[in-house]
Amino acid sequence: MAESPLSVHDPNSEGSQDMKPSPQQQKQMEQAYAQMKRKMSMQEIGKKIKHKIMVLSGKGGVGKSTVSTGLALSLAQRGHSVGILDIDITGPNVPKMMGLDGRRLHVEEGRIHPAQGHLGVKVISMAFLLEDEDTPVVWRGPIKLGAIQQFIGDVEWGQLDYLIIDFPPGTSDEPLTVAQSLPDIDGMVIVTTPQDVALLDSRKSITFSESLKVPVLGVVENMSGYTIRGNGPSNSQVTISGPGGKSHNTTTDEEGNFSVTLDIFKEGGGKSTAEEFGVPFLGALPFDPGFVRGGDDGVHRIVSEPEGESAIAFSKVVESIMEQIGSSSGPGLEII
Amino acid sequence: MSSNPPELIRLERRDLDMLLTYESGDQFTVTYDDIRYSCPCAKCSPLRNEDESSKSLRRQIEALSPEKPKVKPVGKYALAFEWDSGCSSGIYRFERIWALANNQDPDDGRAYVHGVW
Repeated sequence: MAESPLSVHDPNSEGSQDMKPSPQQQKQMEQAYAQMKRKMSMQEIGKKIKHKIMVLSGKGGVGKSTVSTGLALSLAQRGHSVGILDIDITGPNVPKMMGLDGRRLHVEEGRIHPAQGHLGVKVISMAFLLEDEDTPVVWRGPIKLGAIQQFIGDVEWGQLDYLIIDFPPGTSDEPLTVAQSLPDIDGMVIVTTPQDVALLDSRKSITFSESLKVPVLGVVENMSGYTIRGNGPSNSQVTISGPGGKSHNTTTDEEGNFSVTLDIFKEGGGKSTAEEFGVPFLGALPFDPGFVRGGDDGVHRIVSEPEGESAIAFSKVVESIMEQIGSSSGPGLEII
Repeated sequence: MSSNPPELIRLERRDLDMLLTYESGDQFTVTYDDIRYSCPCAKCSPLRNEDESSKSLRRQIEALSPEKPKVKPVGKYALAFEWDSGCSSGIYRFERIWALANNQDPDDGRAYVHGVW
């Protein structure tokens, strides 16, 4: 860190000469100076990044990081400059999904430079700071929040069109810290799966919405349906026994091919969630085992199959998000 | 409640209500008390489910000092009202504003069910 330009001045001392501060005072002043610099830096970063989108869910395991990385890559596919801030301090897995496993961050003149993953997407994650991936991060709140502020204020993102912020599940301190630190957040994308247990406890959402005051851009339903394909005699009836013993009937085409989408969990949970909360439904993403393979191999599904079903679904979600944030002034509305 | 309301082109904040002008040229008045009472946030909405809590909510709102809110667009889909007192958490979709303008129930008769997002 650069030497602090601060010193203690005591006007009552003889000749009003500067006094040398105690080591404790010096440390406190340096911390205050660093904090002030970081705050200014956060404001500056806020201006350099055009759109900031938070990705959250009430429940773990719904695929937040998959959605975050998918949104980032889908935006990058469209030619936007994109960054991902992985705020999941205790369970960071964005780097693995972005093919950046084992990479270290580059620090120059006190500024952290993000790693660059597929399609030039910039990534910052706690995972880059761990000695090995099996090391648990056991941090109490204040230390965790300090790290988050450092990830926002001390990172050299450069000019970005979009910053996707991936959070741990639930409504803990992390989103609040980010919302208070980073100015002008466009909104949050809520990821859910079509199960009842993915619905959040109401009190959490009350506290959360009151604390954050960040608009909801919409709800994304992940693991929406699994499409199976097969073939048989042309123009023949096919019956598939799906989850819960539900039968699905379809007919093969001229070439004998058929496809059926099975609702592994339930149907339409994300849409009804969005309707219930009066927020937009951004779209449904299919249940795609390729995401698991891609996550493990470090080659994201959107990268391995840029024209695939999942990539198309992500593209539709991105379109919906862009539509939501495309105009911050409403549809030509004059407010006086 | 209409799922596709006409485009709201002008919102004039007056002392106790707002004058809304839609693209068709039609004008509507919505009082601030009605706006506050129909707040869609997860804290206010459940209060409208039962008659007693609903009346209590209305009384609380009417007891607040009259004030002109700050109105901010939320994306392209909604408006947010910021008050010095009372709840400012609700994000009002344009469909909701349209229903209020037409003296319709913005909740469409449905009780609020906690849950979700």
